[in-house]
Order: sequence, then structure tokens, then C-alpha cells
Amino acid sequence: MGEMDTLKKEADGLKAQIEAARKAVNDTTMAAVASGVAAAPRVQLKNRKTLKGHLAKIYGLHWSADNRHMVSASQDGKLLIWDTYTGNKVYAIPLKSSWVMSCSMAPSGNLVASGGLDNMCTVVNIKAASPKTLRELDAHEGYLSHSRFLSDTELLTASGDTTCCLWDLETGKQKVIYKSHVGDCMCLAVSPDQNTFISGACDSTAKLWDIRDGGCKQTFIGHTSDINAIAFYPSGTAVITGSDDCTLKMYDLRADQEVNGYQDAALNAGVTSVSLSSSGRLIFAGYDNFNCNIWDSLKAEKVGVLSGHDNRVSCIGVPDDGLGVCTGSWDSFLKIWN
Amino acid sequence: MEDLDLPQMKREVESLQYQLAISREKSSITVTELVKWIEGCVCDDPFLNPELMRANPWVEKGKCVIL
Repeated sequence: MGEMDTLKKEADGLKAQIEAARKAVNDTTMAAVASGVAAAPRVQLKNRKTLKGHLAKIYGLHWSADNRHMVSASQDGKLLIWDTYTGNKVYAIPLKSSWVMSCSMAPSGNLVASGGLDNMCTVVNIKAASPKTLRELDAHEGYLSHSRFLSDTELLTASGDTTCCLWDLETGKQKVIYKSHVGDCMCLAVSPDQNTFISGACDSTAKLWDIRDGGCKQTFIGHTSDINAIAFYPSGTAVITGSDDCTLKMYDLRADQEVNGYQDAALNAGVTSVSLSSSGRLIFAGYDNFNCNIWDSLKAEKVGVLSGHDNRVSCIGVPDDGLGVCTGSWDSFLKIWN
Repeated sequence: MEDLDLPQMKREVESLQYQLAISREKSSITVTELVKWIEGCVCDDPFLNPELMRANPWVEKGKCVIL
């Protein structure tokens, strides 16, 4: 056998051992543990505000840590910063490339980042006298699918080149490269303690990474198609993934495996986006079929629907204070619900 | 999905060895604690505690003002 074949055999053997180790600790089910929990009530939310201003498909949104402002990105070539309480646009930032796929805002509210098919992540200082490009982070060899700030000096990106990266914004250089996925990285979420982050990719796996040393700590399998969306539980001990296979899954980080799944035989639309209510009890999931479904994360039952968009829901977000949920759509509108 | 080359395959094997070695806790403990944690936060969750949703920033407070 060639060296490659030996290594492949070793890899398959290790994967089998990991599955056996997971089975060995799997001594209960979420259904069993949650059987004593009262079902969540039906959740009927009203569309409180519709933010109009984009002229093309919206691809990303991110709430500010102040729970009031939000950044959204559209393939009309603009980032818009909104005051969601008034519905006013505070800033409009024209993008060099209109093929944007994601946007994010720093916890400080000083910086926003965006990127897409230009393979770059552009960071803009919105608190300067007029919004000014701070950095163009240019090293990924594929599209930029997602980004999240750790602070005003560090940013994580996920890319179609199958890697994720931690950037130093003071130098504009890559600090750590996270390599292990074998498909395009589509999404990432940072743990509440900022020591780890999780990425979802087109190889149907989610991977948990040590932010500082770049090592892949855990790989979560089970999905049968691209993972488009991912979110950390506020406890930091579980994550939710949403996939083109039309399902969501909850992975328990401590037991290192899937502990709950959210699917409906009637649903044959891929999940595009996911966000959690502040307790994590409710999962808001955006789908290709123009709706957002609300799931009880413990009972795995649908408890509500948000319908009102005329095209795919591409992004979704709950602000830190948990007072509402915003959906962004290819119909060019953002809607706030509670 | 590209096939890995030799150095990548070596790294993948090393990574899998590392991932195998992590300590896994019994799901009877971890899932129970997760459920408890979530239940404990429900009273602070505006979507599940209507009292908290009273301070709704996206709902008109007073009557319209004629400018």
C-alpha cells in the first residue's frame, strides 16, 4: 500500500474510534431529558417594523451590541447602518464590489466589515468624520462567506477557499489560519468566552476551533448537505446548525455529538440562517421557502412561523437584549418582529 | 470537494488523533445541565416572558404628534 492509502486507512480508523467513543457516552436522549419540561407556548409575533432602502437582495445583517443599530448588506452594492427604533438610515457605505455575501459590526460599534465574491474583507470605520476604509483584508483564495469581530483589533473570517482566518486589524495581516474543512466554509459563530469558534461548511461538517492555536478540537457530522448557518448557545456548551438538507441540528460540545434534530417531512426548503432567543429555548430559522420557522429547541416542535417576505429569508438576528428578531430577505426588506 | 494531498492527509490524521483524545462527558449529565440552564434563562427571555416584552422599543408609545 502506498503512503496515501495507509494514511487514509488510519484516518478512517480514527473516525470509527471517535464514533465509538461518542456512542459510549450517549446514555440518554434530549427527548427523555426534556420530557418533564412544559412545552413552549405558540409564538405569534407581529411585524413591528419594515426597514426599506435596499434596492436588491439582502445577504447579511448584524445587530449592534447597543441593541438598536444594525448593519445590513445588499447586492445593490451598499452597506446600510440603521437606527431600527426610528427606521432611519444612519450611514450608507458604498462597496467597491457589489457581490457582497456578509457583513458584521464590531462590539464597540466603531467598525463594520463586509465581503463576498471579491475574496476580500473590507473593514470600515463608521465613527470617523465620514465612514473611511480602515483595512482591505486580502489573502483568502475564495469568496468571503462570513465574518465576526472579536474586538476592534481582531476579526474572524470564513471563506469559500475552505479555510477560516483570524486577522490582526492593526497590521492587516493573518494571525491564524484554520485549515481542516474540505468544502467551502459558509458560516462561523464565536463562543461566549471568545476562546473558541465554530464553523460550518459545504463538506456537511461543523468544526470547533481553538481561536489562539488554530487547532480543530472537534468535528460534528450528521448533516447531508452544506451547513449554511450556525449559532452558539449562550451557555457556550452547545451549537445549532442549519443546512441545505432542510434540517437543523443541536450538537452538544461536552458529549461531542448531535443531541437533537429539527425537521419536518413537509419542509423541503434549505435552512439559510439561524438565530437563538436569549435563553436559547427558541430557534429562529430562515428558509429558502420565504418563511422563518420558530422551533422549541428542547421539544423539537415548531411553535411559530414568520411569514411576510416575498423571497428567500437570507439572514436573521436577535439583538443581545433578546427583545426582537430581525429577518433579512432577497425581497430587499428587513423586518423586525416581536 | 478536492482530494487531499500527502501533507494535508498527514495533518488530517494528526488532527483526528487529537480530536479522538478529547474527554467526552456522558450525555445524561451534559444534556440535563443544558436543559436546566435553558429553563433557568427562560424567565429572562422576552419572547417567553411577556412582562419583559412590555418595554417594546418598536411599538408606538404615545399618540401621533402633529409636527
